[in-house]
Amino acid sequence: MSTDFILTRDKRVGALKRLPVPALGRAYAALFGPFAVLLCALPFFASGYVVTLAVEVMIAGVFASGINLLTGYTGLVSLGQAMFLGFGGYGIAIGTALLGWPLWVSAPVTLVLVAVIAAAIGAICTRTRGVEFLLITLAFSQMFYGAAIKLRWTNGSDGMTGIPRPDLSLLGLNADNPTAFYYYVLSVAALALLMLWRIVTSPFGSVLVGIRENERRMTSMGYAVANYKIGSFALAAVTCAVAGILQSQYTYFVNPDAMSWQMSGEGVLMVIIGGANVILGPLVGAAVFVVVKQALSMITEEYNLFFGIFFMLVVAFFRGGVLGAISKLIGKRHERA
Amino acid sequence: MQIFLIQLLNGVQLSMLVFLLAVGLTLIFGLMNILNLAHGAFFTMGAYFGLVVANKTGSFWLALLIGPLLPFVAGMLLQFFVLQPLAQRGRSTHLDLALLTFGLLFATAGAVEYIYGSAFHSIGTPDLLKGRVALLGIEFPLYRLFIIAVGIAIAAALVLVIDRTLVGATLRAGVDNREMVTALGININVLFALVFGFGSALAGFAGIVSAPIMSIYSNMGIGIVVTTFVVVVVGGLGNLKGSFYAALIVGVTDTLAQAYLPEAELFAIYAMLIAVMIFRPQGLFGAAGRVA
Repeated sequence: MSTDFILTRDKRVGALKRLPVPALGRAYAALFGPFAVLLCALPFFASGYVVTLAVEVMIAGVFASGINLLTGYTGLVSLGQAMFLGFGGYGIAIGTALLGWPLWVSAPVTLVLVAVIAAAIGAICTRTRGVEFLLITLAFSQMFYGAAIKLRWTNGSDGMTGIPRPDLSLLGLNADNPTAFYYYVLSVAALALLMLWRIVTSPFGSVLVGIRENERRMTSMGYAVANYKIGSFALAAVTCAVAGILQSQYTYFVNPDAMSWQMSGEGVLMVIIGGANVILGPLVGAAVFVVVKQALSMITEEYNLFFGIFFMLVVAFFRGGVLGAISKLIGKRHERA
Repeated sequence: MQIFLIQLLNGVQLSMLVFLLAVGLTLIFGLMNILNLAHGAFFTMGAYFGLVVANKTGSFWLALLIGPLLPFVAGMLLQFFVLQPLAQRGRSTHLDLALLTFGLLFATAGAVEYIYGSAFHSIGTPDLLKGRVALLGIEFPLYRLFIIAVGIAIAAALVLVIDRTLVGATLRAGVDNREMVTALGININVLFALVFGFGSALAGFAGIVSAPIMSIYSNMGIGIVVTTFVVVVVGGLGNLKGSFYAALIVGVTDTLAQAYLPEAELFAIYAMLIAVMIFRPQGLFGAAGRVA
């Protein structure tokens, strides 16, 4: 993990600085090992309720990680990522229930289709930037939300039920069992995060960060900025669709609410809580969010009120996120040493 | 043909309502570079405050007059004490401010639901505007004509104020060169807060105007604000005249789609927006730069 680094903006010169922070790498490694062991061993000692919560956290974490690629790394703030969450769920629902395909065909076909559709949507959306980008992604998701409500062959606003979980009988497991499903979600989430980690540490990922920091410079350096943005958009969408597939399998159903703009907002919120442009940030953000949401639902029915207030406080006072705060702490100590 | 005419007028009436919201949104964006996603919250706020006044006094006109005061004050305070300081600390870019107002939108809807419950309310049509009028061979509700008239009157007044008065000149100058305006001795923070308050008041005004024909409920602002976003993007963000024409296009498209293509009801205006974004990403009327 000694190659770990954080990308920060040096306030004094305003330039991008690539900080090799061995201390930070060691700290992450030290945290990561026990964390991974804990996740693998969780069902053996935790209650069923905790395992269920952990499943929700991981699904939300994959969703938020997809948003993070686009928002944290590429610097494009989208309020429409929930549409891809919905695409994932509806994709396998249509594939298995309407077309009668097995899950192992429906899921890959869904992801490929999402990639193609997202590339097309991304090509349109990335022509704009800043708040216009935010608004057009919102419009796209509202359009598909509206379509999902109206479409009769997907049961309109009632949504579709009976979404199958994977057949794990080869491993001697039954995915309807919460523990088995937990391990299934854990493997998929780990795979998705690993893939994202490879992406952001690749040269492609560096270009995305470059676009975030100074798009004009990247253009003049000869990068086809537009294509990179579309690539980032499509990869983020596929990640969100993976989360959508998991989510619909977790609840056995999918309805248009998966595509609501509040859902998109929740994803962005998780990214901000955890700390944008840190690869595990969204997962931490998802954990905080899911736990807070659970706690809130126990004490109050006014979810919107507290969601809104929580959102405002996080945006106003908590910009670096949880991991941002930790990085800063370790970074400071490192500077002193 | 007669039905078409009625639908067309309904569309224009919806356009005027959305225009009242779009004015504030686009003025605030043009001047302060803040995308106020919470604009729908002020729509709700105005409607509920108007409802309270109407219930107390029994007068629609008093509600119309007093109702916008609450969103005016709330908007002013929000800009002056929350958004402006955050923007000045440089800690939040305009995107962060947009996200903050996103939270505010849901918090307001939640707070309203907490106070008033999720029931639907309505304010009765004032006696003066009850009934229908014969027009071009059709009967059209007088109140809907009143909304159209109000929308056109406000649009005209705004154009006059912005093009012909000192306040308008100051606003236009503020868009072009903020530092210069400050150097001329104008307290730009107060001006911004006033404009923010005014935009919010117009949104609240729209909430009360819509009350006799649409229901008042806690999530009313969340639905209409998305339509308003479509209007300001089609019109070009920050472009006042553009948002008037765009409101007409969007309102009529939406109403006609509901009448003749119910399958596409929730779909049509977004499809139109996307078509606009493909061919003119800066908005249909965005080329000439920001008007206000």
